Amino acid sequence: MIYPTRPSGHRSPVVLFFLGITFLCLIPAVVAGTVTVDHALGVATVETPPERVVSLYQGATDTAVALGIKPVGMVESWTEKPMYRYLRPYLSDVRMLGLETQPDLEGIALLNPDLIVAARNRHLAIFPLLEQIAPTVVIEDVYDFKTLLSVMARATGKQAQGRCLLEHWQARARDFRSRIRKNLGDAWPTEVAILSFRADHARIYYGGFARSVLEELGFLAPEPHRQEGWGIKLTSQESIPAMDAETIFLFMQDDPAVQRTYRSWTAHPLWQNLKAVTAGEVYPVNPVTWNMGAGILAANLMLDDLYRHYRLPDTLPEVLDAC
Amino acid sequence: MSKTLVLRGSADRWSVRIQPAVLWIGLGLASLLCLSALVSLSLGTYPTTVPQIIQALSGSEDLSGIRLILLEIRLPRILMAILAGGALGLAGLLLQGLVQNPLASPDVVGITSGASAAAVFTLWITGSAGGTPLLVPAAITGALLVTVLLVMLSWRGGVSPTRLVLIGVGLAAGLSAVTTLILVVSPDATAMSAYIWLTGSLYAARWSDVFGLAPVVIGGLAVAIAVARHLDLHALGSDLALSLGSNVNRQRLVHLLLAVVLAGGAVAYAGALGFIGLLAPHMARRIIRTGHVGLTVISALLGGLILVWADLAGRVLFIPRDLPAGLFVAGVGAPFFVFLLYRLRRQS
Amino acid sequence: MLMTRTARAAGLLGGIAIAAAALFASLMFGHIPVSVADLYSSVVAYNPGDLEQLVIRSERVPRTLIALAVGAGLAVAGVLMQALTRNPLASPGILGINAGALFLVVVGANLFSLTAPTQLIWLAFAGSGLAAMLVYFLGHEPGRGISPIRTVLAGVALTALFVSFSQGLLILNQERFESMLFWIAGSVSGRSLEAVAPLLPLIAGGLVFSLLLGRQLNLLGLDDEVTQGLGLNVAQIRLLTGLMVILLAGTSVAIAGMIGFVGLIVPHIARGLLGTDHRWLIPGAAVIGGALLMGSDTLARLLIPPREVPIGVVTALMGTPLFLHLARRVGQKS
Repeated sequence: MIYPTRPSGHRSPVVLFFLGITFLCLIPAVVAGTVTVDHALGVATVETPPERVVSLYQGATDTAVALGIKPVGMVESWTEKPMYRYLRPYLSDVRMLGLETQPDLEGIALLNPDLIVAARNRHLAIFPLLEQIAPTVVIEDVYDFKTLLSVMARATGKQAQGRCLLEHWQARARDFRSRIRKNLGDAWPTEVAILSFRADHARIYYGGFARSVLEELGFLAPEPHRQEGWGIKLTSQESIPAMDAETIFLFMQDDPAVQRTYRSWTAHPLWQNLKAVTAGEVYPVNPVTWNMGAGILAANLMLDDLYRHYRLPDTLPEVLDAC
Repeated sequence: MSKTLVLRGSADRWSVRIQPAVLWIGLGLASLLCLSALVSLSLGTYPTTVPQIIQALSGSEDLSGIRLILLEIRLPRILMAILAGGALGLAGLLLQGLVQNPLASPDVVGITSGASAAAVFTLWITGSAGGTPLLVPAAITGALLVTVLLVMLSWRGGVSPTRLVLIGVGLAAGLSAVTTLILVVSPDATAMSAYIWLTGSLYAARWSDVFGLAPVVIGGLAVAIAVARHLDLHALGSDLALSLGSNVNRQRLVHLLLAVVLAGGAVAYAGALGFIGLLAPHMARRIIRTGHVGLTVISALLGGLILVWADLAGRVLFIPRDLPAGLFVAGVGAPFFVFLLYRLRRQS
Repeated sequence: MLMTRTARAAGLLGGIAIAAAALFASLMFGHIPVSVADLYSSVVAYNPGDLEQLVIRSERVPRTLIALAVGAGLAVAGVLMQALTRNPLASPGILGINAGALFLVVVGANLFSLTAPTQLIWLAFAGSGLAAMLVYFLGHEPGRGISPIRTVLAGVALTALFVSFSQGLLILNQERFESMLFWIAGSVSGRSLEAVAPLLPLIAGGLVFSLLLGRQLNLLGLDDEVTQGLGLNVAQIRLLTGLMVILLAGTSVAIAGMIGFVGLIVPHIARGLLGTDHRWLIPGAAVIGGALLMGSDTLARLLIPPREVPIGVVTALMGTPLFLHLARRVGQKS
């Protein structure tokens, strides 16, 4: 029997229909039994549907909400503690498990979960322990929200929901790409830089969540930003020219020291000389959805920002209404 | 004249002097350690009472959730605290005897810095904010490499304690700069994890870790007791020790190697906790004045006690956050340490 | 080593020439290419509209000046410390002064939310003073003066103490942690001249005063009994020297963070060239220290553009081999 584990890109209606029938046939089996899930650190056997799900990183919390699951335990957010505002309506009475980098192991065990979702580069060391508590799926990269979605959908028995979310995303991406091409014409594709300001330095992002979404939507990175690694930290204002691009999206926390640094850097003549600044193409965006949420809902919110920003009509339904 | 027991090996190849008073103190401390372990076992996110512990461990009731917590989360961690703390206390004593100065610790000869630089480097290269199986071997390798470098650089016909310290301090400073560089260029989560490791943390200690460190510590303790008499001799001054037939240089190397193996192993599993190596021997000296066999055992026991309590504090004071034990070692150690230095000044 | 007075004078002048060259290089090199003409114009006929001249004035000049001042300050502090503790391996980093500064800065930023640059600078200054006093107190054996090895070990122990506490506070507050990293690593960039303007004269004053102390410092190396026999008030000299150390090292650390090895290596280089007479040693160390730090800052800019290597790392990479070489020669009699 064909059972897709990683939804691919474009599908014709015929294939969709066939898959739909297959899925309907499988419902009894899936509801009653277990499912094996391939993940970054092996294979997990999960009893479906798992009722008690623990999320050990931001993206997993986001994806759980998207799949219509309320986790029994989750880790704290990095800002807007204890959980991001955009997820709060769906997460009342969830037990907090400490920091993403050091979750409370006893708390996890006490919750008696049926499924734990973790990230490899955060939880590699505690993975053996987690496996003893409950079946655990591990995602390789915290920013890879699509693999996360498909793995979590499979593990929680919500493949239909997962597929719907993914297809909705892809439809939106297609729509955005065609509209922006029409809108910008020859100016498309645009080179976009992603920057952030901290209390005593500034950052340029070469990789990460926002970059991956923008790439999928057709945006380019300026030549100097096409490098390996997460990005770089800049301490000297003389390096401001390295930040240049046709458009700049930047984000920062609402902290006096950070604001001070931002004002000081943007007042500098080198900043005033940047291509993006002279063209008026510098936009502050929300750090939570652009950098920290790292899940399908955050991606959709980021796309909302871009639709709004480029003044394109956003005609497709909202993600949580569509699926 | 105080009574002493003397145990000798065949043909006097080894001998051990123990005062009975020391034996009682040792037993007392060991019991205190067991009690502390029990207390630590019963506290956590889910406090468990002693009867519950016994029930869960004997498996008479299916309290599988608690059983898992006790056996897989708390117990390995407590044992690791005892082992690592003990190893560091021992290493500190050996180094203080080696350097002939009560202010010596594993930090001073660069062991901690070598292990730290290697560990932070590994965390950065593998991109694992959450730790990696490579961490322990990397840290041990770092500690050993630094020691080899240390001995090579400070060997000039012999090992002078002063030179050892100064070169150790220099190596430590250089390695610390490397560690800082890596912290600065890492992404945030990796930098924070590395920093927590640098403070010294027993989070997620596992049975495999305990089985890795236990033979090192137990073996090290045995060897330390056997060579303890040399430390007594060295305390008299190297000239006197030489004239009493002690092969000073070779023994210094043995002590150094032993200290490195113990401290390096402890640091590899528990992070940069060199401070215990400074505290425990001092506290031991306040309990029994002289006699390195007694000091050895008691330093180890005290080191274990300190770390068990520091770890407990980190676990339960800020639930659900789990703070590194190293923080509390410093918190406990600081006032004691300053007081100690003040008294030292007055004594000499 | 230069023996005669003329040779030493020539050596000092040569050192000044090297420092001038380092200054020139620091102003010339960086992310934005500038020409000598730009440099000339920025001094003589400054036009703020010209980008290159602006970069020179707003970026390069402050950091060059800071590197010069801090380099000289740390080097002379090192000379003073080594004279005071009679330990050729004393320096602000090793004696815990840096750690003390770090500690108070972290406490201030975390517990009292003092994050403005000027506040941090004064906190660092106070922290250095605290650590210096503690180390002096702990390394001093009553009746016998200051023991060299005791001070080093006291410094190491205090460093461990202060660093542990600082680490604890930083772990509790992750956002503060990120913003402290660069200060911990040491940096002469990103500091505006306005923020450091009140402190630079302090360094200048400290340098001048130390020069005047030169002759007395020559006598600190002798045993207490000898110097008292010579009619000198040893305690007073020690106190003044100690105050100068706190002033120079504290201000330097306050401005530029934890930069190690300058205070350690430069006195040795100066001693190798100019001998042990402090009247020559102090100006020599100031000149060499300034040149060294300006050179390190230039190097830091050029290694991994557009990023910069933290300057403390550059000085450590240069300083460690030198230090180890020197340490090997110490304590030859075991």
